[in-house]
Amino acid sequence: MSFKLIKQAFSSGQPPPMWKPQPLKDRYDVVIIGGGGHGLATAYYLAREHGITDVAVLEKRYIGSGGSGRNTAIVRSNYLTPEGVRFYDESVKLYGQMSEEFDFNVMFSRRGHLTLAHTDGAVRTMRRRAEVNRLQGVDSRLIWPDELARLCPPLDLSDHPRYPVQAALYHPPGGIIRHDAVVWGYARHAVRRGVHLHQLTEVTGITVEKGKVTGVNTRRGRIKAGTVLNVTAGWAGVIADMAGVKLPIATSPLQACVTEPLKPFLDVIIVSGSLHVYISQSDRGELVMGAAVDPFASYSMRGSFSFIEGLAGHMLELFPSLRHVRLMRQWAGLCDMTPDYSPIMGHTSVDGFLVDVGWGTYGFKAIPVSGKMMAQLIATGQTPDLIRPFRLSRFEEHNLVGEKGAASVGH
Amino acid sequence: MLNNALYRLEPQAGETIDRAQTFTFTFEGRAVIAHPGDTIASALAAAGVHVISRSFKYHRPRGVMCMAGHCPNCLVQVGDEPNVRACQTPAEPDMVVKPQNVWPSLKKDAMAFTGLFSRFMPVGFYYKTFIRPQAMWPLFERILRRIAGLGKVNPATPPDRYDKQYLHTDVAVVGGGPAGLSAALAAAEQGATVSLFDENPQPGGHWRYALPAPDDGPLPDLAAQAEAHPGITVYPETTVLSCYEDNWLSARRGNRLFKIRAGAVIFATGAYDRPLIFDNDELPGVRFGGAAQRLLRLYGVQPGKRAIVVTANDGGWRIAAGLQAAGVSVVAVVDERPESEAGAVSHVLQADARVFWRHTIRAARGAGAVEGADIAPLDAQVRPQFIAGDLIVINIGLTPANGLLYQAQTKISYNEDRAEFLPETLPAGVFAAGRVAGSHAGATELAEGRLAGRQAAAFLGLAPAPPSAEITALAGQKAAGPKRSSARVDVPGSQKRFVCFCEDVTDKDLETAIAEGFDSIELLKRYSTISMGPCQGKMCAANTIHLCARHTGQSVAQTGTTTARPPLAPVSLGVLAGQNMEPVKRTALDAWHRANGAGMMVAGLWMRPEHYGNPPAEVQAVRERVGLIDVSTLGKLQLTGPGAPDFLDRIYVNKWQKLGVGRVRYGVMCNDEGVVMNDGVTARLSETTWYTTTTSSGAGAIFEWMQWWLQSGWGGEVHVTNISEVNAAFNLAGPRARAVLQKLTDADLLNEAFPYMHVRHLTLAGVACMVMRIGFTGELSYEIHCPTGAAHYVWERLLDAGRDFGIAPFGVEAQRILRLEKAHIIVGQDTDALSDPISADMAWAVKLDKADFLGQRPLRQVAQDGPAQRLVGFTMARPGLVPDEGLQIVRPTAAGPEIIGWVTSSRHSPTLNQTIGLCWLPAPLAGQPGATFTIRMNGKLEEARVHHGPFYDPQGDRLRI
Ligand SMILES: Cc1cc2nc3c(=O)[nH]c(=O)nc-3n(C[C@H](O)[C@H](O)[C@H](O)COP(=O)(O)OP(=O)(O)OC[C@H]3O[C@@H](n4cnc5c(N)ncnc54)[C@H](O)[C@@H]3O)c2cc1C
Ligand code: FES
Repeated sequence: MSFKLIKQAFSSGQPPPMWKPQPLKDRYDVVIIGGGGHGLATAYYLAREHGITDVAVLEKRYIGSGGSGRNTAIVRSNYLTPEGVRFYDESVKLYGQMSEEFDFNVMFSRRGHLTLAHTDGAVRTMRRRAEVNRLQGVDSRLIWPDELARLCPPLDLSDHPRYPVQAALYHPPGGIIRHDAVVWGYARHAVRRGVHLHQLTEVTGITVEKGKVTGVNTRRGRIKAGTVLNVTAGWAGVIADMAGVKLPIATSPLQACVTEPLKPFLDVIIVSGSLHVYISQSDRGELVMGAAVDPFASYSMRGSFSFIEGLAGHMLELFPSLRHVRLMRQWAGLCDMTPDYSPIMGHTSVDGFLVDVGWGTYGFKAIPVSGKMMAQLIATGQTPDLIRPFRLSRFEEHNLVGEKGAASVGH
Repeated sequence: MLNNALYRLEPQAGETIDRAQTFTFTFEGRAVIAHPGDTIASALAAAGVHVISRSFKYHRPRGVMCMAGHCPNCLVQVGDEPNVRACQTPAEPDMVVKPQNVWPSLKKDAMAFTGLFSRFMPVGFYYKTFIRPQAMWPLFERILRRIAGLGKVNPATPPDRYDKQYLHTDVAVVGGGPAGLSAALAAAEQGATVSLFDENPQPGGHWRYALPAPDDGPLPDLAAQAEAHPGITVYPETTVLSCYEDNWLSARRGNRLFKIRAGAVIFATGAYDRPLIFDNDELPGVRFGGAAQRLLRLYGVQPGKRAIVVTANDGGWRIAAGLQAAGVSVVAVVDERPESEAGAVSHVLQADARVFWRHTIRAARGAGAVEGADIAPLDAQVRPQFIAGDLIVINIGLTPANGLLYQAQTKISYNEDRAEFLPETLPAGVFAAGRVAGSHAGATELAEGRLAGRQAAAFLGLAPAPPSAEITALAGQKAAGPKRSSARVDVPGSQKRFVCFCEDVTDKDLETAIAEGFDSIELLKRYSTISMGPCQGKMCAANTIHLCARHTGQSVAQTGTTTARPPLAPVSLGVLAGQNMEPVKRTALDAWHRANGAGMMVAGLWMRPEHYGNPPAEVQAVRERVGLIDVSTLGKLQLTGPGAPDFLDRIYVNKWQKLGVGRVRYGVMCNDEGVVMNDGVTARLSETTWYTTTTSSGAGAIFEWMQWWLQSGWGGEVHVTNISEVNAAFNLAGPRARAVLQKLTDADLLNEAFPYMHVRHLTLAGVACMVMRIGFTGELSYEIHCPTGAAHYVWERLLDAGRDFGIAPFGVEAQRILRLEKAHIIVGQDTDALSDPISADMAWAVKLDKADFLGQRPLRQVAQDGPAQRLVGFTMARPGLVPDEGLQIVRPTAAGPEIIGWVTSSRHSPTLNQTIGLCWLPAPLAGQPGATFTIRMNGKLEEARVHHGPFYDPQGDRLRI
C-alpha cells in the first residue's frame, strides 16, 4: 500500500490536485494543438528531456476526449515491417516504466496478444510477422491450436465456426493499459514541469506568414508561437487545412463496446483479422470489444447498430459461451487513416508547423515513443532516425511503410 | 424451505400473478415458492429474502431497490446466465438462481472486509497503489480481477435460438403509459400506422402500480382501445434499446430483436425514482416509492412490515396510505416540505403514524438490513432521532427516462424550477410526452400524449399541425402542476453515502476527485467510473451532476451532462447476433467434388477443393496428360459500351485500346499508390463487349472498386455487370487438352484457328460456352466459361471425353505448384501492401505512356528510380529443403542478422524434383541469377540461389502447341 494513500486515509484534507488551471498567455514558444496522449506526451518530454517549458497544450474539450480516451488500449509491437517493429517496441518499453516514472499506476497488463489465423494466407502472414519480430528481438511466434487451447480455453477451436481457427501469432508482451491513466499521468507531470494545459480552448485558425507559422487563433483569443504542433488525430486534416497544408488523411469512425462486468473469463487479448473483431477483458471485468474501422469517411461519433450486431455475431463464432453476456455500452472515436496505415510525423511545407498525426486505429500504443521523438524533433530541429520512415514527404517519394497487413484490425 | 407466505398479501386489483398455480425455484440452494407472473425478485420478497447480491467494490449486501430494472442491486446468476436482473426476470419452475460476487455465501462473504478498509480505497485508489515493486503488479492484478467482476460465464453454455425482425411504421411510440397510449391513439386516429412498445407485460405505465389503486379510471379504456385499434400494434415486453440516425430503432423481446424504421418517434418513456444520498443509502430495505408500489400492486407483496416514508411530494403520502391499506404499519412520514406546501394529504394516515414536516432522513441503520432510520429537521442543528422500522421508502423525485431522447440528439437542459432535466429542443420527427417531458398530473400526461400523437401525424403529412395556442396552453398546464422532484440530492452525514451503486462510489469520492482536478463532468465520470456500471448512469448521473456543480461552483446547467451511449438497457450478444448468418458460397460442382474425394478448403466466401487426395499426382496428370479444375470462384465482370477500353485503360496498368476482338490479355490493376490490387485476364468479345476475370477472393472488392470509379466520373458510356455467379468456369489443362475438347465440338481448335491468348464462343456438348485459351499452369489450356446451370453437365462431359486421355481433376494445391513452376504470381500472396508491378517482375505490363491511370504517378517514380526490392524466383542449395512461406531472408552482419527480404511462395516441384519458390530481395541481388543468399529457417541460415524466369518451360513453348 502506498504511503500516500495511508496519509490520505488518516487526513481530513484532500489529495493535491493533479493539475491546476493556469492563465492563458498571448505567446508561447511551442503551441500543441490537441490534449490527447500524443500532445501531452510531447509536452512532457519537451519539459523533461529538453527543458522547454514555455509550452501550451490547447484542447477543445477535456483532455483525453478524443481517441486517447476512447480506444481499447491494446499495446503491442508485433508489427510487420522492421521500422514499425523497432518503433513500437520502444514504446512498449516506455510503457513498462510508466507507472514508476509517474508514481501513478497506469495498470499495464501484459496479458499476451493473440492474432488468430483462419486461412492459410493468414498463417503465412503470421509466420512472416513472427519472423520479423523475432529478428528484432520481439517475443512473437506462430502457435497452433493445442497451445492456443491452453492459453484461451473458451475459444472455439472446433471446425464448427464458418472460418475455423488454424493458428495464431502469439505475442506474450502485448497487453492492455488504462488509457485515461496514461493521459492523466502525462498531463500531471507536464503541468508540474511548467507546461500550461488549457482545456475548453478550441483552435479556430493558424496564422502563417511568408511560409512560417506565427501563431494560432482560439476561441479564447490569439496566441503567438513560432512552433505549432498538430496532434489532433481525427481532426488532423481540419487543423492542417488551417495552415494550408494538405495531408493524405481520411477520417473514419472506429467503434468499440463493453459488456457488463464478469468474473475473469479471458486472460489474453484475442484478435481475428478475418472476422474483423478483437476482445480483451479489463481489470474491472468488462469485456472490451472492437472491430475494424467503419468502411466510410465520416466525423460522426454516434456509432451504429450494425456495428454491434456484426460484432456480436463474429464474437459468438469465436466464443459461443458468451451468448448470454450483455453488451452495456458502445461508442465511436475518429481515426485519421493514411494510405499506408502508418503515421505522419515531422515537418510540413510550412516552417514551424509540425504534425504528429495519421495515428488511425493504432496510435495509442505509440504515445510514449512518439511524444519523445516529437519533443526531440522540436528541441533539436533534427528528425530522429526512429521516425524518419514516417515523414510526410514519403508519399511524394513513393516510400510508403507497409503496415496494412498488421495494423488494420489489430490496432 | 423458506416461509414463502410471510409477505404475500391478499389478491390485489390488477396484480400480474396467477395465484391458482405455484411452483418452486431455488435461490442459493433454498427452495422459493412462486406464482406464474412473479419475477425472481417478487418471489424472493414474498419469502422475506431482502439481500440478493453484494456490491462490486466493498461487497456490501444489496437488495431490491427500484424493482424496475434500473439499479444494479438485484443482479443474480440464473443458470448459465450472469448479471440477470431479478426484478425484471419472470420466475420459472426449477430455475437455479444464485447470488453473484459472493464467496462462500451471500451471508458470509469473505471479501466483505474490504468495506473496513475503504478509507484506504478512495476514488482512484487503483492508480495510487501497487506501483512498487513493479514485479508484484501482475500478482496484485490477478487478485483485483478476482475481486471485481460480477457474474460468471459458463464455458459450456449451450446454443439457443435467436431471430430478428424488421418493422416499418409511421409512428413508433416508446412507452405504453398514459401518455404513450393516448399518443398512439391520437396518431392512429389521424390515419398513421402505429407501433407501441412497452417493456412491461401490459401497457399502463405507472398507472399499473401507482398507489392508491384507482377503482377504475381511463386506463383500462385506453389500453383496450389501443389494442383494438386496427392501426395500432402493441408490442408488450419489448424494450427499445437504441435510437440512431433517421429514427432507426432497435428493440428486444425475449430472444427476438426488432429493427424499426419509423417515420416519427414519440418517446413516452416515463421517469424513474431518483435516489437520495444519505448514510447507508443502499442498505437492503431502502426501497424507492416505485419499488414499494410495484411489489404491492403487481405482485401482492408487502415491501416491508414497518415503513418510514421519506418524501418531498404528495406522491409519498399516497404511497404511505396505500401501504397502510395493505397492512403495512407506517411508522413515519418524513417530508422535506413545510406543511403549508403540501396538498391535503396528512389525514390519510393512521393515528399512530408520526409525521415530520421539514425533515429528512440522515441515515439508514441496521446490520445487513434496515432496522430503522435517523430523522432530522432540515432547518435546525439538532441530534437526529432514531425511528425503528424495516422499510425505508424513498420518494423524493423522479429522473425523466430520457436516455433515448439523448440518443436521438435531443437538446436537454436542466429546469431549475422543476429540478429536472427536461427536453428543450427536439429533432424533427421526434416527440416527447408524459413524465419524460415533465408532465405528471394524469390529465396533463393524457393531453400531452394526444398532442404528440397529432404532431407526429402532422409531421408525416397525415393531418394539420395542432394550433400553437394548444401547445402553449399545455406548457402552462405543466408548469402549474405541483412539483414532484426536490432539488436536494443529498443530506450530510458521516458514513458511506453511495452515489453510484454499481461501482460503490461515494459522494466523498466525487469530492476528492474534483479536488484532484477532475472537475469537468466527463473527467469526473472517467476517474470515478461513475455511470459506467450496469445501471448505465440511471441511478447516479443526475446526482453526480448536482454534486459536481456544487463543488466546482457552477450551475447544474453549466455543468452539462455526459454522453448517453446506446444501448439503453444491456442486451445479450446472442440477441444482437441473431441467427448470425455467415454465408458460404459453393460452386455448382460442390457436391461432385465432395463425392469424388476432394479435401475442401475455405477460400474467401467460397469452399474449394484443395486436392483430390494426391496433389503431386494431380500435377503430373496436368504436365503429362490432361487435368480439369473448377475455377468457378473467379470473379467475372462484363463491361459493355464504347467507353469500356477507356475505363480499362484507367484502372489497369496495361493498354487496352488496340486489343482486337477475339483476343485476351493478362492485366494488372493497381490502386492510387501503385500497389498491385488484383490481376486477371480480359477478353474482348465484340467491339463493345469485354469480359474480365478477377481473383476469387477479390471479386466483390474489385467490383465495388470499379463502381466507385464509375460513379466518380469515369463512367462514360460503359456499364459493368458482376456475373461471377452467373457463369461457372473450368480450366482444362495439359498436352492433351485440345484432343479432349475436340471431342465435344466440331469447331476448329488448331493453333491457326484458335491461337494462344484468344477467346472463342464454342458449343461444347450442345452448351454455348465462352472459351479462352490461356494458361496459368503453363500447359496448353482452355478456360471454359458456361452458364452455372449447365456446369455440372459440361464438367461431366469433359471428364467423359477425357477418360481415354487419362484426365484427372486437380485442386488448388496442384494449381499452386503448377503456377509456381511457371513463376506466376498470386496477388496477395507474392505481393503485399507495398508491391508495385514493376518490382513484382511485371514491368512489361505497365504502360507509363498512357493517359492518366491509377498508380501512374508512383509507378513513374519507381520506373525512374528503379525498384529497391524485386520479386524473383529461388532454388535451395540443399535439395529437399522447403522453407515455409513467410520466412525471412537475412544477411549476417556484425550486429546480428539483417532482414533483406522474405519468402512468399515455396514448394517442392514434383516435375523438376527440387525446391522452387518466389521471394523479395534487394534489387541488386535479385538482378544476378545464381547469386546466393540465406533464408532463416528455425534459427539456422540456409543457402538459396536467385533464379530468373519460369522454372519450367521458360520459353513457354508448351502453351502454344
Ligand atoms: C474505438 C477505438 C479503439 C482504438 N483502439 C486502439 C488500440 O487498441 N491500440 C492503439 O494503439 N490505438 C487504438 N486506437 C487509436 C488511438 O486511440 C489513437 O490513435 C490515439 O488515441 C491518438 O491520440 P492523439 O493524442 O493523437 O489524438 P486524440 O486523443 O484524439 O487527441 C486529439 C485531441 O485534439 C483535440 N482537438 C481537435 N480539434 C481541436 C481544435 N480545433 N482545437 C483544440 N483541440 C482540438 C480533440 O478534442 C482531442 O482531444 C483506437 C481508437 C479508437 C477510436
Ligand atoms: S431492483 Fe432490480 S434493477 Fe433495481
